[in-house]
Amino acid sequence: MIQPHDSAIVRTLGRIIIPVSQLFGIYVLMFGQYGPGGGFVGGVVFAASMIMAILIFGVDSTDSNLARKILHGDGVGLLIFAGVGGLCLIGGGQFLNYSYLQIPNLDEPSQHFVGILLTQIGVAVDVAVTGVSIAISLSFEEDVTRSEEASNG
Amino acid sequence: MVELLQTLLQRPNFIVFVILFLWGIYIMAAHPNFVKKLIGLYIVQTSAIFFLVAFSAKEGATVPIIPDGETVVNALNYANPLPHVLTVTAIVVQVATLGVSLALVTAIYRHFGSLEEDEILEQLDEQ
Amino acid sequence: MSSNLPMLLFLIPFVVGVAIPTVTVKRRALCPIIALGTVSVMVLLAIANLHVVQTKGPIEYALGGWGAPIGIAWLDDSLAAVVILAICMAALLSLIYGQVTVSSEHKKSMQYYTLILILLSGLVGIVFAADLFNVFVFLEVAALTGYALVGAGGGKASLYAFRYLLLGSFGATLYLLGLGHLYVATGTLNMADLAVRIPEILTSTAVVSGLIYIFLGLSIKMALIPLHSWLPDAYVNAPSAVSPLLASTVTKVALVAWVRIEYSLIAPNVEVGHVPVLVVLEELGVLAALIGGALALIQTDLKRMFAYGGVSHIGLILIGVSLGNTTGFTGGMFYLINDMFMQAALFMIAGILLHYHGARTLDDIRDTARFSPWLTGSLVVAAIAMVGLPPTGGFFGKWNIILGALEAQHYVAAFAVLGSTLLTLAYFLKIFASWFFQPQAGDTAAVELSGASRISLGIISITMIALGLSSDSVFQLLLATVNSGGV
Repeated sequence: MIQPHDSAIVRTLGRIIIPVSQLFGIYVLMFGQYGPGGGFVGGVVFAASMIMAILIFGVDSTDSNLARKILHGDGVGLLIFAGVGGLCLIGGGQFLNYSYLQIPNLDEPSQHFVGILLTQIGVAVDVAVTGVSIAISLSFEEDVTRSEEASNG
Repeated sequence: MVELLQTLLQRPNFIVFVILFLWGIYIMAAHPNFVKKLIGLYIVQTSAIFFLVAFSAKEGATVPIIPDGETVVNALNYANPLPHVLTVTAIVVQVATLGVSLALVTAIYRHFGSLEEDEILEQLDEQ
Repeated sequence: MSSNLPMLLFLIPFVVGVAIPTVTVKRRALCPIIALGTVSVMVLLAIANLHVVQTKGPIEYALGGWGAPIGIAWLDDSLAAVVILAICMAALLSLIYGQVTVSSEHKKSMQYYTLILILLSGLVGIVFAADLFNVFVFLEVAALTGYALVGAGGGKASLYAFRYLLLGSFGATLYLLGLGHLYVATGTLNMADLAVRIPEILTSTAVVSGLIYIFLGLSIKMALIPLHSWLPDAYVNAPSAVSPLLASTVTKVALVAWVRIEYSLIAPNVEVGHVPVLVVLEELGVLAALIGGALALIQTDLKRMFAYGGVSHIGLILIGVSLGNTTGFTGGMFYLINDMFMQAALFMIAGILLHYHGARTLDDIRDTARFSPWLTGSLVVAAIAMVGLPPTGGFFGKWNIILGALEAQHYVAAFAVLGSTLLTLAYFLKIFASWFFQPQAGDTAAVELSGASRISLGIISITMIALGLSSDSVFQLLLATVNSGGV
């Protein structure tokens, strides 16, 4: 069981750093369109912030709520990625051929932009969920989602 | 012989790659602790990725995106994106391998109570 | 729609496999139904794919609309179509067989179905990939799910799964290194493009070391002797529901990947520094076939015997494809497809023995009084196929490999095939001696097998015989691949 950290300094700093690093993760994800960055790194930074929340505040506290809730989204990222590719398939082209992405009111460059952005968001969500689940399962925690359901229902 | 040494010393990146690769293999083979073997595997994979980075680095190159309005494209100014993509994908594969391997190490610890290879082999011989 | 078949064949198991944990979190009993339904749909799509490729020719699928060599392309030719149909059928039969030992109340059953579906999608990706890096990515997807499946049994199995992981990941790293070397030398990763650019520079150090690294990496994955040490332990200790699928597909698909790379890049009679490349590969196959057969002969544990038998057959197939003529190539590939079903059948039999009779070694088999006629019948059919007697497919595969060896005047290879056949006959005689031994004059009734095991054993035995009877049409399909130039 991971207990909340004793030192007040660590907890206060955590309250400041964790939201800033989550924002940085989302920024890196969006900046991947124009420079280094993209889905993988954004997801990893996001996961690092949530693992920090678990380590500083413990698994049960309200501050690490996001980390516990996000474990339910196992595989959602892949479904977003495959969903975008499938939309392109349905639109008439090959898998991930963004020229055939049929979203109304979008011209050709915006279709590519939206398509790539959606795939990167899918990748980031998947990487974040994987990172948090590896960290939680390796710390001998019982199934966090299962114990939540047992205490709620 | 001297020319061979000269050509080798002009390529320090590849010498580093060879040292990392061989050192990682030695760690994988020689240490009995499973987590140390995993670290050795990680170093071997990192050395292969380092090899990919070593030949894709380009001096003075910029991001391969053509800004608005430019028509003349000189390929020398832009970095080749393909090896960088190979690197990123290989890193992701490495992380996934690390995740599965740590789960297996946890399962081994839960069953055998130890992470040293010689102790586990003794337990297996007794069974 | 038909031009999108390769992508559908890959996407369907992948998406369903990833969606299973979320969809069946409350209704556990749905898992087997969803998995069996998905794999049946895949078998139908694979048959449709084979039909399309036969009538309209190979499908080149460019992902994202970017054609080769700029983009990633998938090549769906007749070899790929036949191999994928074989993989899907083997997966369907293994899933049906898995119902014998995996029950839905078991906590880990959902993970079993998820991992098998993702493994299937990885294997499909390896066969379709026409790009070296795509092969690496799907090789790792299939391998990671393989490690997890072997280690899922818990206990001793996790130790051997860890060894499999160390060796397998090392092999993949060697493959990545070789890929990097080839990229540095030519600037492209597409197999068709490499086939154009490499023959001029085949003797340069970068290309030779790249090909050596790729071969070493793939030989660890396909368990070519002497790099096979992970295989016996992993397959013996894997759960019985898992070993038919793993034993039949994982090593063979790595061999298919090597065949694609070798056939485009290494023409017959090419020499590097006065060493003929294909002859070296063939001698390695000879060693693997003979040593594997000999190692199988001295085992007492049944699953271990079958595992070494599989290792020796990889050597046989490597002999076939490295002969350099079309007879040997088609014989080797046909034997690969047969070997998938033979290995699956053998591991199913071994699993049923363990589950119903608790028998692991030859001594345990000798002490058991009576076996179900289904079990005995399928063992006899599998033995006939492994030794290579007509009318099963094993005969036609070995016959063509020997014919190809005689055509190329490589008599050592022909003797090696015959020697491996004799060794296979010997260890099956050992098994039969224990099987048909009557311990005492008791009239105990045979244990009744469940419906699932009867269906899977029956269909797989029929498939092995049917492959032999329809060998001509399969050979025509494989020849079409060779004649169209691209492999």
